[in-house]
Amino acid sequence: MSYPFKPDPRLDLTLERFLDAPRELLWRAWTTPEHVKQWFTPKPWIITDCEIDLRPGGLFRTRMQSPDGKEVNDRHCCYLEIVPNERLVWTDALLPGYRPSGEPFITAVIALTQEGKGTRYTATAIHRDEATRNNHEEMGFFDGWGTVADQLADYVKTI
Amino acid sequence: MSLQAVSQSVPPIDGIFRALADPTRRRVVERLNRSPASVSELAQPFDMALPSFVEHLKVLEGCGLVHSEKAGRVRTYRLSPEPLALAEIWLAEQRALWERRLDQFDAYVMALKEKEK
Repeated sequence: MSYPFKPDPRLDLTLERFLDAPRELLWRAWTTPEHVKQWFTPKPWIITDCEIDLRPGGLFRTRMQSPDGKEVNDRHCCYLEIVPNERLVWTDALLPGYRPSGEPFITAVIALTQEGKGTRYTATAIHRDEATRNNHEEMGFFDGWGTVADQLADYVKTI
Repeated sequence: MSLQAVSQSVPPIDGIFRALADPTRRRVVERLNRSPASVSELAQPFDMALPSFVEHLKVLEGCGLVHSEKAGRVRTYRLSPEPLALAEIWLAEQRALWERRLDQFDAYVMALKEKEK
């Protein structure tokens, strides 16, 4: 399977893993709100709301909330490509109906390939160039890493 | 496919994050940010056996954040120039996000699979 994009190692990430479950199940876990709510946001953040309109141009919305409820990240994304059980592509560069969004940051490509009784799962995150400055909300998920990175960022500025 | 190359370019960052996950090592980096220093100068504020402290220095040196030179009997540590670009920190955080997400996804679908048997 080939993709019409080239990952840039300075900006993009690819995670690959063998998952011991049929890809139909993985597909449902990615495309059903009740399932997405259970795993999509790194704990201790939670998802309080998830909406999915599974078609190109359709809405993929996740409302994430910090443990104390003070921080909320309500992201409205748009599906670009839907190949059931094979490939799911969404972005926050567009709103539902393909309307350009104000804060383009990521396009995610989820690819599922059958491998025996399990699935080869590949997630690719394609980021915008000025990502560094547009990412404060997601940094908050990682208290440990975030603290370290903040300190390091402060330190790098002083060099 | 070049995707593999992407994954392999990350471990140095992991090493830097691991090195800085420890408060002693962060304080050493902060201290070296002011000026280069000898091992004994660096160790002085810490209530720690010297061999343990030296281990911390080795971790920092191993990941490339600092480097040292020996002149006579004195080893002097200094910060490495341009140890890490901010973009790389940012990317490491994104990686952490996606890895945790994948861990949770993995665990969740396994439970789901069990439930639907």
